Amino acid sequence: MRGIDYVLKRVGFALVTIFVAVTINFALFRLAPGNAVSNLSRVPHATQQLRHALEVQFGLDKSKGEQYLIYLKQLVHGNLGVSFENEQPVSTNLRIALINTLPMVTLGTLFSILIGTLTGVLAAWRRGTPTEAVTVSSALGFYSMPTHWLGLMLIIIFAGVLPTGGMTNEFLLNPGLWQHLKDLASHIALPSLTLGLVLYGEYTLIVRSAMLETLGEDYILTARAKGLKPWTIVRKHALRNAMLPVTTLVALSLGYIVAGAILIETVFSWPGIGRAVYEAVLERDYPMLQGAFLLLTISVVICNLVADLLYFKLDPRITE
Amino acid sequence: MRKSWLAVVPLAVAVLVSATTASGSRSGSGGLFRLGTASGIDSLNPYVAFNQDAYSAFEYIYPVLVQYDSHLHFAPFFARSWHASKDGRTWTFKTQPHAKWSDGKPLTAADAAWTIDIDLKYANGATANEAGLVSHITNATAPNATTLVVHYKQRPNPAYVLGQFQQFFILPKHVWAQHLGKKGAGLKTFPNNAPVVGSGPFNLVKFQKNQIAIFERNDSYWGPKPKVQEFGLQQFSDDDAMVTALKAHSLDAIETVPATAMKALRQARFVVSDVPGLDQTDFIINSNPKKKHHRELLNLKVKEAFDHAIDRKKIASVVFLGAARPPSSIIPSSTGAWHDPRLEPPSFDIALANKILDKLGYKRGPGGIRVANGTKMSYQVVTPTDVQSIPRAFSIIQTDFAKIGVQLAQKALDSSAAFSLMSGPNNTYQGFDLAMWDWTALIDPDFMLSVVTCDQYGGWSDSGYCNKGYDKMYAQQQLAPTTAKRRALVWKMQAFLYKQRPYLWLSNDDSVDAVSSRWAGFENTAQGPFNELNVQSLTQVHQK
Repeated sequence: MRGIDYVLKRVGFALVTIFVAVTINFALFRLAPGNAVSNLSRVPHATQQLRHALEVQFGLDKSKGEQYLIYLKQLVHGNLGVSFENEQPVSTNLRIALINTLPMVTLGTLFSILIGTLTGVLAAWRRGTPTEAVTVSSALGFYSMPTHWLGLMLIIIFAGVLPTGGMTNEFLLNPGLWQHLKDLASHIALPSLTLGLVLYGEYTLIVRSAMLETLGEDYILTARAKGLKPWTIVRKHALRNAMLPVTTLVALSLGYIVAGAILIETVFSWPGIGRAVYEAVLERDYPMLQGAFLLLTISVVICNLVADLLYFKLDPRITE
Repeated sequence: MRKSWLAVVPLAVAVLVSATTASGSRSGSGGLFRLGTASGIDSLNPYVAFNQDAYSAFEYIYPVLVQYDSHLHFAPFFARSWHASKDGRTWTFKTQPHAKWSDGKPLTAADAAWTIDIDLKYANGATANEAGLVSHITNATAPNATTLVVHYKQRPNPAYVLGQFQQFFILPKHVWAQHLGKKGAGLKTFPNNAPVVGSGPFNLVKFQKNQIAIFERNDSYWGPKPKVQEFGLQQFSDDDAMVTALKAHSLDAIETVPATAMKALRQARFVVSDVPGLDQTDFIINSNPKKKHHRELLNLKVKEAFDHAIDRKKIASVVFLGAARPPSSIIPSSTGAWHDPRLEPPSFDIALANKILDKLGYKRGPGGIRVANGTKMSYQVVTPTDVQSIPRAFSIIQTDFAKIGVQLAQKALDSSAAFSLMSGPNNTYQGFDLAMWDWTALIDPDFMLSVVTCDQYGGWSDSGYCNKGYDKMYAQQQLAPTTAKRRALVWKMQAFLYKQRPYLWLSNDDSVDAVSSRWAGFENTAQGPFNELNVQSLTQVHQK
């Protein structure tokens, strides 16, 4: 019964969070200085009437209250509106950008989780040795590197070996599936590697810290006294108990995958959601921004909800 | 342990396979020319598009009545000849016979007449994006398949008429008429996806926004056929990555070369072309006659002093590494005969600037900052974050202005916020004193001359300048009976603005492109190699 209460409370909280975020998304971008039509109306052949025509077309001539109600009404019907910038449905724009973003960011994030967990465990297990010093300092080094700088360095290092921009070689004529996959793999390598290298340090440090805490527990001493193999102690006793903070971090990271990676997408000309959002901010493309942030909100809230529910499973103290 | 290595496997695979996929492998008669761009096509709909690359793409896929030749004179394109009636109010164009759209339907003068009429009909709404091109026109008719007749309210200037039609893309009526929607609103939401029905030297067969546009030779094109089978426009959002791609021969050319890469590309044996461009960076003085604060900035002598405190040669050499030149007028020299050659860039003379301000009685106060009419000459300079040259140009100007007792502080905003601040609530132009930005001129001077008219308040105006006498000259140049008379007026307007100084011109930036030495015929212009002036560059490019 307490378990059902817990789940219902978390789900209710998630729904309220989404509604609040929807409202903030609407207000926030309209409070920012700048006008949605000032850029779009500045084309060389336009007349003065274009500005007014755009305001009427986008419904910006209505009061903010009316705009908000229309927005909510459309949202209830699953309609995210039409982009001011290219006049296409926001859902279509987001879908295309998201499909482009997901493989690159997912690969980079998984790389960082796996390598970060491995190096974090290693650093904790080899505490006080050169292994720890090397692991921690390289993690801190990559973590503190500006993302775009690291991306540019990788471009210079791999110039002529790996492609420097785009998702695929669009000049290939009707590539077969294998050729397309090879092409995609070569294009995804550098952006994913950049993201993975920047993120893995965070995992290393958190896993190391959590592991150090559990390795100091009495049950680890008992395990050692029983003569268990070091790797068995790490895997079965230390790492499992260190997973709680890591679960939160992984859940948050996965939630943010849909936000893309603006700097990486810019450096590698990756047509993903990060760049789409950045351009929408510059253009004050309200429907696009509202749609993108709604997607991000839902994704983060769902991943947090999953983390909460996993906690419920992982940590029996929650139900006690 | 084993699982953690899974993530690096794709990377290793990628490194191993990359060599086989780095370069294009399309083939065919003439081959594929791969062009890199930092801008890109934002929309394939002419009523929505904003970027220059979009308009350059339309030049290659849609018929246009006239184009510029290499000397910037008007040359026949879809219109083979033209003449005006005696009263100058009716223009007749004889168009290309037996032309076809890419879907096989006939392309006739009726398509041109329909496009003009539709632009007029929805000028205050859906087609406002293009409406400036049909101003002064009452209607257009097509008495037969190869004759287009355009009627004007008043006798327009001949160069003005041709200058507007040079930028006017004729759309296929049988496609676009199906997308009018309510009050023409459908014209704006029609995505016009590839393959686009067009009738230029190329057909746009593939388009992915922010990524790629592939143009294929149009075998049914009515003009001289392109030498390449295809060309592709690949978009890069980072200049360094684009330059690296060129060096790695993943591209054949790039249309805008960053100044920092020019030397390295020349050393790598690429052909780097550097010609005077149409882009000019400016220092804007809020010249709104009703300006409430810092009214000393309306004083022409103050503006003159500021002009002499700008070291244009230093800006050209430090900021643009020599790929720019000191400008003198709102109409850049690369527009040819429209530029008034008698105007010289103001001299850099700090002593003279100090002398002018001293003479005005603006004495130096605490910190060496002058005081004008009881107020410190200390100003905020609004700058847009998307013009890369501005931060360095600003610091040069800031240092020199300090020497004349004028304090400047930078306020960097994105372009939307910057323009909003400058135009102010209800377009009153009360919210700023100074700003920096840039303008990209067209060959025809009408557009650049319009940006300082009173009519452009809330539109193109970023200076708040408004002068009825100037506006009168602007209207006159559109209706001047001959090109010579229009040029005289255009020169007079430039000289007028030179003294009025709503803008202090900082640099006239070069248009710089780079192309692999394996290719020839790729022609750079003031508007770049992929431009809206004509279809010369990409129809002539070929492998050596």
